[in-house]
Amino acid sequence: MIRLCRVNKRFYPGEAREVHALRDIDLSIQEGEFAVITGPSGCGKTTLLNAIGLLDSISSGEIWLDERLISALGEHEKSDLRRDRMGFVFQAYNLVPVLSARENIALIMQLRGFKPQQIEARVAEVAQMLQIEHKLDALPARLSGGEQQRVAVARAVAAKPSVILADEPTANLDSHNAALLMRMMRRLNEEEGITVLFSSHDDDVINAAKRIIRLKDGALC
Amino acid sequence: MLLRLAWRNILFYKGRSLATFLLTFCAALLLIFYAALMQGSHRTMLHSNLGIYTGALQLQHQRYQEEGGSEHLIFGAAHWVDLLRRTPEVTAVSARLETVGIAASRLASGAVVLTGVDFSAEADLSALQKALKSGVYASEGLCLYVGSDLARKLEVGLHDELSFIGSAPDRGFVAERFEVCGIFKTGLYDFDLNYAFLNRAAFDTLFRTHDTASVIAVALDDPLHAEAIGARIAPLLEPHLRLYPWQELLEDLLQMLSLDKIFGYVSLGLFFLVIFFVVMIYSFINVSSRIKTFGMLRSIGMRQRQIDIVLLLETLILSLGALALAAPLGGFLAAWFELHPIIIEGIAENYKSYGIVSDAMPTCFDPASILRQSALILLLNLLSILYPIGYLRRFSPTEAMRHV
Ligand SMILES: Nc1ncnc2c1ncn2[C@@H]1O[C@H](COP(=O)(O)OP(=O)(O)OP(=O)(O)O)[C@@H](O)[C@H]1O
Ligand SMILES: [Mg+2]
Repeated sequence: MIRLCRVNKRFYPGEAREVHALRDIDLSIQEGEFAVITGPSGCGKTTLLNAIGLLDSISSGEIWLDERLISALGEHEKSDLRRDRMGFVFQAYNLVPVLSARENIALIMQLRGFKPQQIEARVAEVAQMLQIEHKLDALPARLSGGEQQRVAVARAVAAKPSVILADEPTANLDSHNAALLMRMMRRLNEEEGITVLFSSHDDDVINAAKRIIRLKDGALC
Repeated sequence: MLLRLAWRNILFYKGRSLATFLLTFCAALLLIFYAALMQGSHRTMLHSNLGIYTGALQLQHQRYQEEGGSEHLIFGAAHWVDLLRRTPEVTAVSARLETVGIAASRLASGAVVLTGVDFSAEADLSALQKALKSGVYASEGLCLYVGSDLARKLEVGLHDELSFIGSAPDRGFVAERFEVCGIFKTGLYDFDLNYAFLNRAAFDTLFRTHDTASVIAVALDDPLHAEAIGARIAPLLEPHLRLYPWQELLEDLLQMLSLDKIFGYVSLGLFFLVIFFVVMIYSFINVSSRIKTFGMLRSIGMRQRQIDIVLLLETLILSLGALALAAPLGGFLAAWFELHPIIIEGIAENYKSYGIVSDAMPTCFDPASILRQSALILLLNLLSILYPIGYLRRFSPTEAMRHV
């Protein structure tokens, strides 16, 4: 489903401080996968996820989604593609502080123009799966870190994207909450068939994945 | 959805929203009131200046304005006075007949513009009656109403005798002795130094004139319409007659008023500039403190355009809210101080030469002007958010999320 061909990413190309963050990455992710990207700090996990999520441009190579070359799209199309096909979970600052958990979860669906009844039903459904039904009316500041990440996951899956990209979603969580989040993501992967690609350097989390992609110095190994 | 996001942002960041709201509110209120005061003082200045003697319009023989002279007079003046009185916007009309001559007391002599007037008509139009300093205003017989500076120059006081020699419109000479029955002081030096007034009956007998005027002065309810009204009446006049608007008669006043206006606009402009930058810096801080959230929204697929709209909506809501309060309040203040003018002791004394005749500074309630000021503030606020928006656009989604 997602295919990377000889993807390279250089920061500050041509300058003395140039960083070659991704080196000739050839990678393909199949539909329904539950894969983790791992490797030491600075190896390029975030850079790789940002490249796939079209958040950062790449220096060379191609990224395909289904049969579409998405790495060459314009800003607008990239933005719409993120909205329509991808779900994102970040390490922190995932939620809009002024919106309730419910409104945060509904955000993408609203941006995509779902009908209110549809949104309501879906929000209830994902909230139940992630066990945050009782917190739906709270503002993010009133939620624990674990709950915030679960709301973020709920938002990411609510609009049924093709893939969820999560950059160290458990990094700020204790091991109990991390394990809980992983269990729930795995369940979503299995029950809804959503492809999940996340990064981590926590062994417990890594072991929960079905596939492990190892990076070192920007290259696969 | 965007509207809700904007609204929630406003509610969530209460302190900031309140500050922006108050800033806009105060700026708008101040601006509306200042503009009303400016307009009001302008109108007062104009009214009182024209009200001293000139009037808003003057009917003259075309060549009288250019050359003067006793052959360029308006004959059959009563007809024109009548016609002018019937014009709706006209509040007062007075026919005057001027002649230039030499006046002498026992001690001194000098030139004088001796003017025959109908004292009662003049009382409605000019400030002559109000300018009475001593003696009486309207007197009969060979009694003069003399400017205070002229009296001083000729070294005469009340009840003193004054001789006059001058020419009559029929080219004959007139020499007569008068009594000084009243002395006036308008504050306009040239006027107080040169003018003496005589009742029309005595004047006509003396100069053998009848139904003749050199100038027919006209007062209007709004002097700013002088040119338009003049143009409207013009077709009814005989070709040698012309209605001169005050703008042509008092070029000095016109210049002074435009200077005053320019000064007003410059200070308004500075005012706007200050507000603009304060609001802009404020919105800039507002936006940059939320860069992370905007970066996240961009990352999950919100378009930059939609974020721009959210920011514009926030500004729009706050500005409209502030204006919805400031405009009526500003309007109320403008209307209130129009009816109950601010009194500043002593300004009439200090600015007499500008034609300010009272210490009252009324504002001017003008809904159009209030709308204009409000629209300007709104525009200013919307403009002030553009720089922060541009700044935000410089960040890619990931840069924005990493922003500290
Ligand atoms: N915006 C950037 N500008 C310059 N260099 C960058 C930028 N982002 C990442 N890098 C560099 O690219 C390399 C890969 O960084 P990346 O953030 O992808 O690592 P990571 O595997 O996510 O590390 P961590 O586990 O610490 O999050 C690093 O050497 C980093 O310094
Ligand atoms: Mg990282």
